[in-house]
Amino acid sequence: MAELLLSNLSHSYPGAGAPTLSGLNLRIASGEAHALLGSSGAGKSTLLNLLSGLLPASPGQLLLGGQDLADQLPSSRGVAQVFQFPVLYEAMSVLGNLAFPLRVMGMSRRDCRARARQMAEQLEIDHLLERRPTRLGLFEKQLVAIGKALVRPDLSLVLLDEPLTAAEPARKWRLRHTLKSLQRESGATMIYVTHDQTEALTFADRISVMHEGGILQTGSPEQLINAPTHEHVGYFVGTPGMNFLDARIESNVCLVGDVPFGSLVVSPGVCRIGFRPEWAKLAGAPAQTHSGSDWIIAADVISQRVLGTHRGVPFGLVDATVAGARIVTRQPLDEVPSGRAQLHLDTVRAFRQGWVVDA
Amino acid sequence: MRDNRAWLGVLPVLLIVAFSAVIPLMTVVNYSVQDIFDANTRIFVGLDWYRETLRDPRLQSALLRQILFSSLILALEIPLGILVAKSLPRAGRSVGLWLVLLAIPLLIPWNVVGTIWQLFARPDIGLLGATLQNLGFDYNYTAGTLDAWLTLLAMDVWHWTSLVALLAFAGLTAIPDAYYQAARLDGASRWQIFRHVELPRLTSVLTIAVLLRLMDSFMIYTEPFVLTGGGPGNSTTFLSQYLTSMAVGQFDLGPAAAFSVLYFLVVLLLCWLFYTSVMRNRDAH
Repeated sequence: MAELLLSNLSHSYPGAGAPTLSGLNLRIASGEAHALLGSSGAGKSTLLNLLSGLLPASPGQLLLGGQDLADQLPSSRGVAQVFQFPVLYEAMSVLGNLAFPLRVMGMSRRDCRARARQMAEQLEIDHLLERRPTRLGLFEKQLVAIGKALVRPDLSLVLLDEPLTAAEPARKWRLRHTLKSLQRESGATMIYVTHDQTEALTFADRISVMHEGGILQTGSPEQLINAPTHEHVGYFVGTPGMNFLDARIESNVCLVGDVPFGSLVVSPGVCRIGFRPEWAKLAGAPAQTHSGSDWIIAADVISQRVLGTHRGVPFGLVDATVAGARIVTRQPLDEVPSGRAQLHLDTVRAFRQGWVVDA
Repeated sequence: MRDNRAWLGVLPVLLIVAFSAVIPLMTVVNYSVQDIFDANTRIFVGLDWYRETLRDPRLQSALLRQILFSSLILALEIPLGILVAKSLPRAGRSVGLWLVLLAIPLLIPWNVVGTIWQLFARPDIGLLGATLQNLGFDYNYTAGTLDAWLTLLAMDVWHWTSLVALLAFAGLTAIPDAYYQAARLDGASRWQIFRHVELPRLTSVLTIAVLLRLMDSFMIYTEPFVLTGGGPGNSTTFLSQYLTSMAVGQFDLGPAAAFSVLYFLVVLLLCWLFYTSVMRNRDAH
């Protein structure tokens, strides 16, 4: 119905040196909740503005439901956009704001009002309808802005550009749920831009991690956590992010600081191995020495931070060093020794020039 | 008790305000209730001068002319100023040049403005006047009442539209891009963008523009004095000029003082009415 397809999309701002977006390829299914995750300057907002038509067409192709967006005016694309800070018509009431996009479409006054009221009820702002936006709090204003964006019945794509920056955490959570249910109801495809991975992970069906104008990886939250294809994805997604150690591969053995760590079927040479804090465990050193192929290595515990308890056992983060590099593990804290310890890994990934190399 | 000593801190300001505003004003009030023959001969007459002033038909017609003039120049300069501001480029190298060009009329001394237009509009040698004459219009601002008014209005518009334009321009450039972007996505027309995005955001600067132009035009003196001298007849004699002819020309200190006080109160009243109506409108919802 309204599948979004970007092929080889690029964009350069006039006068800027490097392109802001280069060679993007992405397919977003109809009705999908998709998040664009990345730090500022990654090109997320530029991509949104290309989709909505606020930026002129660029090299590459943008297809929405099979139609080339480049031929269409911003207002006729069926695309709505919510900005980082609420943008409303300040001289109109909340009801007027919600009804405005419908009025422009030529809908009758009664239908406009009915639809606007319905939208307000869904967002739980129906008690604010007669107020002016200037009399509302930041969060309420943003709710109205979201309502104004979603009110049009002909929407096929909704773009949200860090819309919850203004909200406090508890309300963010609720609003995200409201957004998701609105999206499911309307069947519109939603693209949610954020630099907050928690927001992305809880909102989206799939996430694209953007970095320096390109997409590093697109996948479900589980895929990004369990199988990051790029160091940056590993580091950016997850709290705390992935640990990395400089390593060398010699005849399928991974050496860290010249000490054998584990076996890894990868071509010989320098690489970096990455592991998530929850894939690792620090424990006391047993008497016998290990074989060098079982992913155990000597470590020095620096400190631990309690995050909570799990089945009565304190649970948290442990900082340590391995071969001079800092690492963090997430584990039960009852068996963590102080000082000398051993690091056990369940899973590990190898990266070269940033990209994953193990199969 | 101890806290009341804080009032002493306000004393310097009170002194300055007293010397700069209250004392001069009260001197005028003092004159306005006396009939003054010379330095030693004064008679207290109460509100007689006020009564006389209010009944003076020449003053009444000057007041009507004044109201007409101020309304006309506001009706011309405010929309024109917004139009000029809207058609200026928002960014780029030429912006500075445009702003300087716009500011030039504001920098010219008022009597020079009067002189410029007096020459410019002369039917015999002035560029405007002679051109109109040669085109077949019987234009003469020293003889025709309508011609005198049109010339005065043109002069004021030329002199002051820039002020409104500069204020409106400042207001327009303060509107974040996102407002225009959102309106574009909503499919708003150019008129709707102006009406619902720009105009609401211009309210405060336009309030200032209207207040400044209202007060200034209500007190206009120099330019019509140089251009038409209040004529032909009394057709362009506004309040200030009538007051001056009364106080300086005829040396009627008492009536002139009463007139001054009334004049001051009228300006104050107009500004208050305008300001409160704007503020009430804004807070209405």
